[in-house]
Amino acid sequence: MNTLHPTVYIVDDDSAIRDSLALMIEQEELDVLAFDCAEAFLAACSETSYGCAIIDIRMPGMDGMQLQEEMTRCGILLPVVFLTGHGDIPMSVRAIKSGAQDFLTKPVTRDKLLASVRSALKSGSQMVERIARVQQTRSLLSDLTDREREVMMLAVVGHPNKEIARRLGISHRTVEIHKAKIMHKTGAINLLDLARLAQEGGLSPA
Amino acid sequence: MSDSDGCIIQTNPAAREMFGYPEEELLGSKIEMLIPKRLRERHLRYRENYLAQPEKRPMGRGRNLLALSRNGRELQVDIGLSPIRDGNNLFILISFFDATQSRAAQLALQESEERLRLAEHAAGLGVFDRDLTSDTLHWDARSLEILGLAPDTQITYEKFLEITHPDDRASRLAALGRSLNPEGEGEYKAEFRIIRPNDGSVRWIASTGKVIFEQGQAVRIVGVMQDVTDQKAIESKLREQRTAMESLLKRQVAAQTASAIAHELNQPLAALSAYSEVALHELANIECPEKLSRALNRCVEQAHRAGKTLHELLEFLHRGDLLPEAMDINETVKEAIAIVQNDGYSGFHPKIELETDMPLVRANRLQVQKVLTNLIRNGVEAMQTGGVPAAEITVRVQTLRQKNMALVTIQDQGPGLDDDMAKRVFDPFFTTKTYGIGMGLAISRGLIEANGGELWADPVTGAGAVFHFTLPFAS
Repeated sequence: MNTLHPTVYIVDDDSAIRDSLALMIEQEELDVLAFDCAEAFLAACSETSYGCAIIDIRMPGMDGMQLQEEMTRCGILLPVVFLTGHGDIPMSVRAIKSGAQDFLTKPVTRDKLLASVRSALKSGSQMVERIARVQQTRSLLSDLTDREREVMMLAVVGHPNKEIARRLGISHRTVEIHKAKIMHKTGAINLLDLARLAQEGGLSPA
Repeated sequence: MSDSDGCIIQTNPAAREMFGYPEEELLGSKIEMLIPKRLRERHLRYRENYLAQPEKRPMGRGRNLLALSRNGRELQVDIGLSPIRDGNNLFILISFFDATQSRAAQLALQESEERLRLAEHAAGLGVFDRDLTSDTLHWDARSLEILGLAPDTQITYEKFLEITHPDDRASRLAALGRSLNPEGEGEYKAEFRIIRPNDGSVRWIASTGKVIFEQGQAVRIVGVMQDVTDQKAIESKLREQRTAMESLLKRQVAAQTASAIAHELNQPLAALSAYSEVALHELANIECPEKLSRALNRCVEQAHRAGKTLHELLEFLHRGDLLPEAMDINETVKEAIAIVQNDGYSGFHPKIELETDMPLVRANRLQVQKVLTNLIRNGVEAMQTGGVPAAEITVRVQTLRQKNMALVTIQDQGPGLDDDMAKRVFDPFFTTKTYGIGMGLAISRGLIEANGGELWADPVTGAGAVFHFTLPFAS
């Protein structure tokens, strides 16, 4: 996933702002796509869009806040940096609460903008990595048999093999065989690693 | 008219109609033909007596007189007699007044007086009657109660003057003086304060009356009085609220106008600063004169300086904003509708759909009231210009549980908004009205956003314009 090239999306109804910010970000060797309204941006994005979005709060039609809600609804996971003409405190609090990466007041300096974009891209890629890992873990865990899953759940909460054998009514030796298979199938290097996978994969004691 | 022998010599149409005779049947006949048979003999005697002493007088003096019409029906009449001399001849002009009708009128009058008394009682009116010639004063029990006097008080005009508030004595006397002027209409109308002797409280009294004149002299004044203190208090409260709202509006017009200008200037400043930094960055890679990079650096600095000034201006404009409080949105909706109706926008039917047990919202009451009155007025005006008079405006209050907010919807039955309008209605200076500066909705949106909510319009609904706004719950 990290091999994907990130795109910085700019959504602002003011063409001079769009153009100048796009130039600034292109100078950093980043890909930029600019849109003059929320609707055009939504039409161009999908769940697989990767990078971050710089969005003007106040736009005719759908405004920035509504756009952010819409993105969440559509499963577009781009981190959002909001731009505003006059950022009052309640508005910025609301924006950050609803998951915005940052909240910048115009005019914005190059340093501030780029710092925000970089941190947004970073959290974007972390998010993508996390999602990829979860998906990978889920698929690993889905290879396990029901019995292996049972053994794994008991193992990751710290029960020794003897106890697992007693609880499941199987022999100590069988538990050892199951465990070896689990480690092999998931590629976990030790019990701690296995516990992490269980957590990531959403596997929890029933 | 009859001659001295009692022969009818002339009739007028009213008399012919009253008795149902054509003129030819009356002329030459004795006047007794118009009197019931049983009374004719007596009448002959009265007629002789009258001829001995002819004078202008009513006949029968206060007795119920009966006359006979052609169809045999007896009529209750009042009769006036006037002698007319022409040389040696004496004629009598006999005037009949149909008393059947006037008796009915009298009964009706009695009845309406009875009703008036009831109405007076219901309206809390006290009745006063002052005879100006003898300077006697009659006040009913209710009047005494209004003025804070014991029921058995012997009231004099001096006593009344005494309890009138000193500051209002002159103006009340002036009103009275005007009504007593024989040249005028004789209407007495005054509002004044009194200091009630029983509890020392100050009350507002509204009094109206009618002056009766005789031979150009005011002889009597009759009227009613009412305690209007509570009414006055409500009026003054409404007036205060309106004044507060107007001043809020003025401040908001200034703030929103300045905000709009500041925003318009801020955008090119932001672009200017960004373009300059882009240029500076490009120059970093090549050999460039120091003066050029310095000039560009100053461009960036100056753009930010101007931006900072704009932000300070905006902060200053919003500093005076009123503080939010926990308020009942349902109550505010009712108040707003009352205010709009009070302002002469009564040609609409408000349909209020409130959710019961609504939690309190956190907002500034006056600002929310301003937004509501604004939206309702817009709706009424849209319906009036759209030619749908006396139509309905719906105000709905609902809970948005997932957002922990109250949702208020205002819907009219006017022509509605098309897509383009729905986008632009909130722009400053956008208006569809002949008179109006197009700040109302821009201000309303500003006010709702300042209270942590949102205001928007539904595009094209087919059934009038629909506006929604949200406000956060207090808890």
